[in-house]
Amino acid sequence: MDFSDQLETQKSKYKSITVERPIPLQYDLALLAAFDTNALDESRLKNDTDNYLKEYTRDGTQLLINQIFKLPITTSDLGKLAELPEQITVIPREKPLPKLKPPTRWEKFAKAKGIQHRNKNKMIYDEATGEWVPRWGYKGTNGDGANDWLIPVPQNDDPFEDQFSKRREAKKERIAKNEARHRRNIEESEAALNQTKGADARSLRKGELQRQIAISKSATASIGKFDKTLKGELKLKGVKRKFEPSIGDVKKEKELNLNILKKVVGKKGDIVNVRKAIAKRGQ
Amino acid sequence: MLKKIKPKNARSKRALQKREPKIEENVKKAIFIRSSSTNQIVNEALSDLCKLKKPDAINFTKKNNTIHPFDDDTSLNFFYEKNDTSLFVIGSHSKKRPNNLTFIRMFDGQILDMVEVGIENAKPLSEFKTSKCAIGIKPLFLFVGDLFENSLVYKTFKNMLLDFYHGQTVKNINLSGLEHVISVTAIDSSEQSNDPRAMPGIIYFRVYTIQYKKSGEKTPRVELEEMGPSYNFRIRRFKFANDDVYKFSTKVPKINKPKKIKNIDVNEMGDKIGRIHLGKQDLSKLQTRKMKGLKRTTDDYTEDDLEEMEDVVPSIKKQKSS
Repeated sequence: MDFSDQLETQKSKYKSITVERPIPLQYDLALLAAFDTNALDESRLKNDTDNYLKEYTRDGTQLLINQIFKLPITTSDLGKLAELPEQITVIPREKPLPKLKPPTRWEKFAKAKGIQHRNKNKMIYDEATGEWVPRWGYKGTNGDGANDWLIPVPQNDDPFEDQFSKRREAKKERIAKNEARHRRNIEESEAALNQTKGADARSLRKGELQRQIAISKSATASIGKFDKTLKGELKLKGVKRKFEPSIGDVKKEKELNLNILKKVVGKKGDIVNVRKAIAKRGQ
Repeated sequence: MLKKIKPKNARSKRALQKREPKIEENVKKAIFIRSSSTNQIVNEALSDLCKLKKPDAINFTKKNNTIHPFDDDTSLNFFYEKNDTSLFVIGSHSKKRPNNLTFIRMFDGQILDMVEVGIENAKPLSEFKTSKCAIGIKPLFLFVGDLFENSLVYKTFKNMLLDFYHGQTVKNINLSGLEHVISVTAIDSSEQSNDPRAMPGIIYFRVYTIQYKKSGEKTPRVELEEMGPSYNFRIRRFKFANDDVYKFSTKVPKINKPKKIKNIDVNEMGDKIGRIHLGKQDLSKLQTRKMKGLKRTTDDYTEDDLEEMEDVVPSIKKQKSS
């Protein structure tokens, strides 16, 4: 049996979905957009604007919908989902690309050794009480025997030493050590991000400390003038003005002056930072 | 510049983290601002354009005296940093530029593009007594007119409208969630406008809801109903980013770049064509037509060949040597 005739009659009951356009439309389906460059009927647009636009848009929308329905479609609980292609239109970003965080010392080591992170269960079985308790934190075992009521004195150890306080001290030390490492990682990552400026972690930290010392020194009522100096303390130097010799290299002098001129006149764009200037005036 | 905030608790830390630059960015949010003097047309246009952009939009309903984006961007910077929004629409109304809207987008806290348009024949959303689309639904776009391809200003305005209203970038779209279409038609009309500050050409901004009808096929037949708002825009002033900044703002992260697939193409007909490298063909072993005259005789064999063969037929070598 041939159903094609029946199909045709069935189709002819409804309005058609085909639209003819001399220049085919361009689509960016990732944005659900269609771009039509065909010429419009100017006289109709002028006299019967809204109806003409509606008709024209209907045809354009039909073409766009036809394209969307041609995309690979999957069915899910939410309904029919069309898989969108890659975006063609370039749209500027809102913020610059994020800088990659430099790896910490542990991450570097783990990578070199091929150590992979694996997730541990949060709850562990406490054999003493026969209950499941958090590995750490509130009501946790904390894994360091802090809840022990008795600690056997190790052999060859001082029997009068307090084993409990010894443990507490050891834990405090471990925490302090970890924090120091954390700080070092932060400093190193900052230095790595500033590497374009040519500084390593140590000299960056040194410079920062020196600046802080300088600030704290002058933070007295007398700007540090009557402060007692420590033995071997270096005197803080201010900015010293330097003068070029009045008679000297002509070439150098010319270059200097040209540089100044370039800064004032030859710069591209705005010479004056308007925003800053207004703010200054307002002060 | 606002003072950089150092988070004091986990909640504010999370809130700040959401604002940090990311590879997959948040949806761009927009603020709709009234300038020092506005009229009803501008006010309604601002709130209607805001409704179209919801939920990623904030409507500022008080007037702002200090906003003049073409002269000074300080207040916009302030709003950007406070609200983490990079899109702005500023409405104003003056004798010099009546019914004025300025579309602005920012990159990294600095103004990237600005386009100023004048509104004509405004019809607000409320004037259309029809069903509206749901909030936060991705619209379809239809840009009609070769101006959007040929003129840099119109091209940028098209890009800005796409930027404003395309919503979240998604991999899949629900076919039942296509509810409305934003139709923007531009024509280089010969008709003189009574606005001396406008560029030649007119833009028709229309929004329609889509109704799906049976078509006897898989793809439905589309019918439209105007939902509003409806404006005719004429472009006035504009200011675009310089090339370096624009290039920087359109940088694609390495991870998102699709890997180039070698030797597979799709031709104009949509057929996939692959090329395979087979290596160099050994022509010495090519089997040509067999003829009696070309048959290898014992004279052609080398000494080595003969030695090998001797195991099988011991008389060969002797025959040759004799």
